[in-house]
Amino acid sequence: MPSPSQRDPLYLKLLRHAVLLLFVAIALWPVMDVVSISLRPGNQLRTTQWRLIPEGATFESYAALFRDHPFLRWVWNSLVVSAAVTVTGVALASLSGYAFSRCRFVGRRALMLAVLTTQMFPATMLLLPLYVMIAWLGLLDTYLGLVAFYVSTALPFCVWQMKGFYDTIPPALEEAARMDGCSQWQAFYRVVLPLAAPGLVITALFSFLSAWSEYLVAAQVLQNEEMFTLPLGLKSFQASMSTQWGLYAAASLLVSVPVVVVFLVLSRYLVSGMTLGSVKE
Amino acid sequence: MRPGDAEVLEARIAAFEQQHPRVRVRSLYKETEELRSGLESAVLVGRGPDVVFGPSDVIGVYHTIGALRDLAEFFTAEELADFDPRAVVSLPAKESPDRDNLLMLGDRFGNHLALVYDRRRVPSAPKSTDELVALAEANTIDADSDGRPERYGLVWNYREPFFAVPFLTGYGAWVFADKREDGRPVPTLDTPESVAAYRFVSGLREKGLLPRSADYEGAASLFLEGKVAMLIDGDWSWQKYASAPGIDAAVAPLPVVSETGLPMAPMVAPRGYSLTVASAGAGRDAGVDLIRFLINEDSQRIALEEQRTVPSRLSVRAEARELNDPILTASLAQLEVGRLMPTDVELRVIWDSMRPHYQSLMAGRMTPEQAAAAMQAEAVSNIQRLLVPVAKDWSALPVKVMGVASLAALAIAAVWVAVRVTRDFSRNRLAYLFVAPSVALIFATVLFPLAYNIVLSFSNMSLSRFHDWEVVGVGNYADIFFGRQSGAFWGVLGKTIAWTVINVFFHVTLGVMLALALNGPIRGKPIYRLLLVIPWAVPAYITALTWRGMFDAEFGSASQLATAVNRWLPGFLQLPEVWLTEPGPAFAACIIANVWLGFPFMMIVALGGLQGIPQELYEAATIDRASRWQQFWNITVPMLRPVMLPAVTLGAVWTFNNLNIVWLVSNGGEPSDKTHILVSYVYKAVFNLYQYGYGAALSMVIFGMLLGFSMLFLSRTRATEGVT
Repeated sequence: MPSPSQRDPLYLKLLRHAVLLLFVAIALWPVMDVVSISLRPGNQLRTTQWRLIPEGATFESYAALFRDHPFLRWVWNSLVVSAAVTVTGVALASLSGYAFSRCRFVGRRALMLAVLTTQMFPATMLLLPLYVMIAWLGLLDTYLGLVAFYVSTALPFCVWQMKGFYDTIPPALEEAARMDGCSQWQAFYRVVLPLAAPGLVITALFSFLSAWSEYLVAAQVLQNEEMFTLPLGLKSFQASMSTQWGLYAAASLLVSVPVVVVFLVLSRYLVSGMTLGSVKE
Repeated sequence: MRPGDAEVLEARIAAFEQQHPRVRVRSLYKETEELRSGLESAVLVGRGPDVVFGPSDVIGVYHTIGALRDLAEFFTAEELADFDPRAVVSLPAKESPDRDNLLMLGDRFGNHLALVYDRRRVPSAPKSTDELVALAEANTIDADSDGRPERYGLVWNYREPFFAVPFLTGYGAWVFADKREDGRPVPTLDTPESVAAYRFVSGLREKGLLPRSADYEGAASLFLEGKVAMLIDGDWSWQKYASAPGIDAAVAPLPVVSETGLPMAPMVAPRGYSLTVASAGAGRDAGVDLIRFLINEDSQRIALEEQRTVPSRLSVRAEARELNDPILTASLAQLEVGRLMPTDVELRVIWDSMRPHYQSLMAGRMTPEQAAAAMQAEAVSNIQRLLVPVAKDWSALPVKVMGVASLAALAIAAVWVAVRVTRDFSRNRLAYLFVAPSVALIFATVLFPLAYNIVLSFSNMSLSRFHDWEVVGVGNYADIFFGRQSGAFWGVLGKTIAWTVINVFFHVTLGVMLALALNGPIRGKPIYRLLLVIPWAVPAYITALTWRGMFDAEFGSASQLATAVNRWLPGFLQLPEVWLTEPGPAFAACIIANVWLGFPFMMIVALGGLQGIPQELYEAATIDRASRWQQFWNITVPMLRPVMLPAVTLGAVWTFNNLNIVWLVSNGGEPSDKTHILVSYVYKAVFNLYQYGYGAALSMVIFGMLLGFSMLFLSRTRATEGVT
């Protein structure tokens, strides 16, 4: 299929644009609805009027978010938690993924499978015992409990993902580095890790997002409104029959902005991560 | 709570803190269902709030799990003499049923339904159902005679049986019999009276007087847009309609049923304060002071003046009558004929047993007789499940022995592994150091909950055995595979497998396709890439609800698109035009929403994987004159494999266990519980019928199936092997 070194014929170029445009439209379709809800006066979720900018459109919901609610506080709390989860998750996954890919130690296969196994349990059933455990450990209303749990739920995927990336990197590269006098750690850190940059990006994005949007566990751990993360804050706009849809939609869109920014920053590495060819030269 | 209620309450709490300088009140708002589950877990560990505020219908549950403290010792009869007796909630004490516990003191009444009407269409509210039907007919207008009226006469949320209660009472029916048996209420959902009520509502639908589908938000929107003349809605919403621009809304009590002469009576419930068992010492005394303060005359008067709340104190209610506020007057009149909402735990079962069949009735899939019979049968058997814990059987002892034996086996295995690791340690020191932190963290958070759940799955933990549960054997497992509901289990399992396969297939193929389209030089790449991750970036909760709205038969852009596309499609390829109220299309709607949510993730993983493929491979292939197609199968696919495999394996596991999307798009299994996958089925069993043991066993079964699948899949694909 397409490779950068080949020039695409015109029909293939057009086909690629057509597919991408179609999916951009599909990706944006429901989001346009959210935009419309956020601008709608009078808190309506549904409408029969088909307009992106509704009649009597207003930024009131956005203004109210900052004026009447500690929205920035929630953003800050979520940023702190998500950043901690991302850094810890990426660090731990890049190390253990490497060991799983390269080292044949005792229990390697069993551990890899066991790590995966932890994802197979329906999360809703873990909530009650999880609450009991967190209460026993005195971690209610602390970010430590939350971060530890988020990292541990994101890690299984991250570890396997990193292992998959390391697998595509020929061991010959490290062996060459070892020959040149590098220690095993140096070979890992200087040679292999930079080559696994796309994997690190995916791991980071995944860790960040899983912490950024998690609600169920946060609702168990955090009771103090001062410490609420974004999903908890958003959820407080919701009541079974009198949800403040305008606020909810406006907040949801604003919440996506940091995600998009994180993605923009990281995607540089996702695409221009040094290819193996350039290293070999 | 209604909009604004929270602010009034906060202000009163601040006033209380000023009077009691040594007391700090920390308030926390939770939605009713979350308050319930939160309080349940808080009770288990003996922590939690001192005081809870909420509607009275959950008091029975709180009391049964032992979450509440008797208030009788703190409040005297004289002190409560001024209260509407319905606002003072007592239930028989758990240990001695001849004595009552005072469990809640209400400061307000609410939750009652009434008729909201648009005075532009309906000058004065109907007094009887004959007038109601005549007005509804006059206001159902199909100007372009396409069979889909532009305006309707009447609408209400006909997904929730709560909104059907006024019709039942109007025909002389009620959810429970007047006489209790052994102190427990008996459901009466299949009586001639209730069948007559269902015949009336389904008649309205058959006459074309009701929109094809209306959930709560849909009904409200139709009314706000002036497309419906009359709406049945609750007191929490009236202010919103009265102040809405473009319509001229007024509120009136529901009419009298012409055939019976009985008023349509909604359920009414007090809201109020309870003291929890977590309160002790100074906290308890402060809690009692707080309750006394929040139910006093001043507090009720302020709530009345600012929020037009119906007070529970008769003296303040007299003041309310003198205000001559039209909405409040209608509310008080409706309250007079309303029937008190029962506080028995059985009420929850009543709703859950009515809901699916009521939805079938309103979709025309069941006759009134069938619906009533099905509701009653389900209510009787579910009450049994709710109240009677799984019986202890012969297997309790073997299970315990097996438990001890497996613990011993685990201990031996641990020693054996430790010995082998110690021997291997010097050879692979770096590997162990690299792996240890991750593995320790992963298992630290999972092991205890998993062990706890295994024990629960053999236990009879349920509503009536919430604290004092014990291991009873394999009864829960037997129930899943051979019990009365085992038929439902196999059906749901089949659906779950279909759900997983279809979702993962589209996630992966769409993700890889888009990644390939994005890979290499193409104009506008960063913008495409950014826009395509948006489904991942926007919180899934709101987009799932948006998808639900898009499939709505009255409002949805997706269902309108389907209608438009159908004109170009041959007869046998027709897309459904009504989605959410039909089982098959509703499930398809869930899948479409989840595919939309999931493809960006696979796209990103595939994009990352494509970066790792050395260009020389393609260059060499081009020199060898391999076609693009051959290059794709011989280079791209095998090189993507190690990167995609974990994502595909875990993607399948996550999709299998993805509760949220199915729950949100189908609104908890609608229509008629036909859109469940296994996790939502477990969720419902646990949280609606309090079958913790059954739920735990079911999640062990899910766990076992996923484990089997993954091991098979991984060994086939040799994913644990490296490149070497």
